[in-house]
Amino acid sequence: MRFARRIGTTGLIVYTLLFFAFIYLPIALIVVYSFNADPVNMMRWSGFTIDWYRQIFGFRNAASEAALYIESTDQLIAAVRTSLIVAASTTVIATVLGTATALAVYRFNFFGKRFYRVLLFVPMLMPDIVLGIALLIFFVGVGISLGIGTIIIGQCTFLISYVFIVVSARLAGMDRSLENASADLGANEWTTFRRIILPQVMPGVVGGALLAFIISMDDLVITYFISGTSTQTLPIFIFGMLRRGIKPEVNAIATVMLLFSFTIAAAGLYLRRRNR
Amino acid sequence: MAESMVRLQRACKAFPLPEGGTVTALDAIDLEVARNEFLTLLGPSGCGKTTLLHAISGFVELDDGRIFVDGEDVSDRPPHRRPVNTVFQNYALFPHMTVGQNVGYALDIARTPRTERSGRVGAALEMVGLAGLENRLPRQLSGGQQQRVALARAIIARPKLLLLDEPLSALDRKLRQSMQIELKTLQAELGISFIFVTHDQEEALTMSNRVAVLDGGSIQQIDTPRAVYNNPANAFVASFVGASNLFQGMLQSGRVMTAQGDVISTDAAAAGSARVTALLRPEQFTIANGGGNGAAAKLDIGIRQIVFTGAGYEVHGRTMNGHDVVAAIAAAQQAQVASAEISRKATLLYDPAAVHIIAGGGDRS
Ligand SMILES: Nc1ncnc2c1ncn2[C@@H]1O[C@H](COP(=O)(O)OP(=O)(O)OP(=O)(O)O)[C@@H](O)[C@H]1O
Ligand SMILES: [Mg+2]
Repeated sequence: MRFARRIGTTGLIVYTLLFFAFIYLPIALIVVYSFNADPVNMMRWSGFTIDWYRQIFGFRNAASEAALYIESTDQLIAAVRTSLIVAASTTVIATVLGTATALAVYRFNFFGKRFYRVLLFVPMLMPDIVLGIALLIFFVGVGISLGIGTIIIGQCTFLISYVFIVVSARLAGMDRSLENASADLGANEWTTFRRIILPQVMPGVVGGALLAFIISMDDLVITYFISGTSTQTLPIFIFGMLRRGIKPEVNAIATVMLLFSFTIAAAGLYLRRRNR
Repeated sequence: MAESMVRLQRACKAFPLPEGGTVTALDAIDLEVARNEFLTLLGPSGCGKTTLLHAISGFVELDDGRIFVDGEDVSDRPPHRRPVNTVFQNYALFPHMTVGQNVGYALDIARTPRTERSGRVGAALEMVGLAGLENRLPRQLSGGQQQRVALARAIIARPKLLLLDEPLSALDRKLRQSMQIELKTLQAELGISFIFVTHDQEEALTMSNRVAVLDGGSIQQIDTPRAVYNNPANAFVASFVGASNLFQGMLQSGRVMTAQGDVISTDAAAAGSARVTALLRPEQFTIANGGGNGAAAKLDIGIRQIVFTGAGYEVHGRTMNGHDVVAAIAAAQQAQVASAEISRKATLLYDPAAVHIIAGGGDRS
């Protein structure tokens, strides 16, 4: 009996280890190999280096001269800048519109409210590739030239949904009698909104904004369709690099992005804890 | 009447039902609450108590009728412009604000100067016995403490009228009883009118100057606790307020005879014969020594159960004709209760003069 139980426990531990290995091993490998000195075969460890990091941050060095994979660091920096501009703009627009919509749906009853709510879910459920093609056809049809503007508009179409859902979830958990209590104590609707509703939905708004930012930074498929030929976001840039073979700099870029995402997620968690 | 603090005139409210039709929550309610009065609204769930409070505070718009507070017609004013404050059933404390911020909220809205504000917040917290808890968040308080915060928050703006919607229902029995006394004391100190909602009849009787018994959106009776208990206006009030034994039947020459054959003696007289309901409170009964022969006012019952209540016994029995009876017997009659328990039957005596006769067949009027 005890023997069987011991096997069971061991089995559970092994399973847990394998499970986490399955999820995290590839990521760990990327981080490890981003310090690998071998310029050609990145799966063969040939010493520690931070050259790839120096290279993506624009410092030329022996390794990069030898490898010459990134034709120009400027391209990478431009891609990062585009991504940040896009992410910042879409986050602001999607957060404002998504939150406003969620508040309106929460506050008012209007004809077709349920249907409207479903409509807001659809962009999230739609396959990226379909949305990408649809947006492309739309932009071309309307005659808007593709570029950073179309990327921002295009990403907003589905990021608003994410913000809407996160903020709505927060609103749904809110006690409506609090609004009555506020009015009862003499506050008009605007004061009640500012002092009671807004502070309580704020964690949802911040959460929605962080989510929108991360998704925007990360989006490849949809952005790929609507970015045109002259504009590159970071994911598109990396995708382009990979098409010419897997290069060691990619590991370094991925590691930096990972660090960046973790920082944002940690900030989100911290804010949520503080606000609860 | 210039003296009244609140006056409702034929207040009507019906809610539409999703499946069509309407439910009447307030059925032409006329109500007056005097200055400094502690009025309790008592009634079963769904009878319209909350709706009535919400009509006064402005969260429910009346279909018809008018509401006056301190002589002013407030019927068309939004909630934030009515001189009325509420203690909500679930307290509705603002979770993101500290106790001090919650209590001071009404003062912030009124732009009270800082120094006055902090003094009044301190005084209000002192009053409800929460001094020093200013910087706690509501979730860091016990249920009873939250209740006090809600109370302090509602009285700080010195409303003319305080509405309390079952404020004690979430508290345990002991805490509830001590809060009942505190509320009553507070009301006397503040000198403002309270409208207090409960569905606990004991609470209603102990706390109020007057009790309004509601059912189906209309006031069945409004009177002092004693009068509501001793002279219920109808069978509904009799059965809802306090434990009761009701016998419906025909009143004829000093006797009420039920269709089943039970007979209740009474001093009440009727011209000819009339349909009435006779009310006997459990504590009106005593157990007869021996057979109780000769006594006119008696009920023979078979014993079903005897419960020791501390102050005495609760004897549950049934007449030969199948009418359930409950009697509260004082501890002094211990011997009689013991013998009744053995013989499984007893004769209950009562005073015919104390039998309360309610006109009508006992249907809800
Ligand atoms: N917003 C509403 N929409 C529809 N019907 C309502 C609404 N509010 C109350 N009602 C109905 O009106 C009637 C009175 O409700 P109310 O809340 O006043 O009862 P109550 O006496 O406070 O009951 P309880 O003791 O359970 O709190 C009920 O039948 C209820 O179903
Ligand atoms: Mg209620």
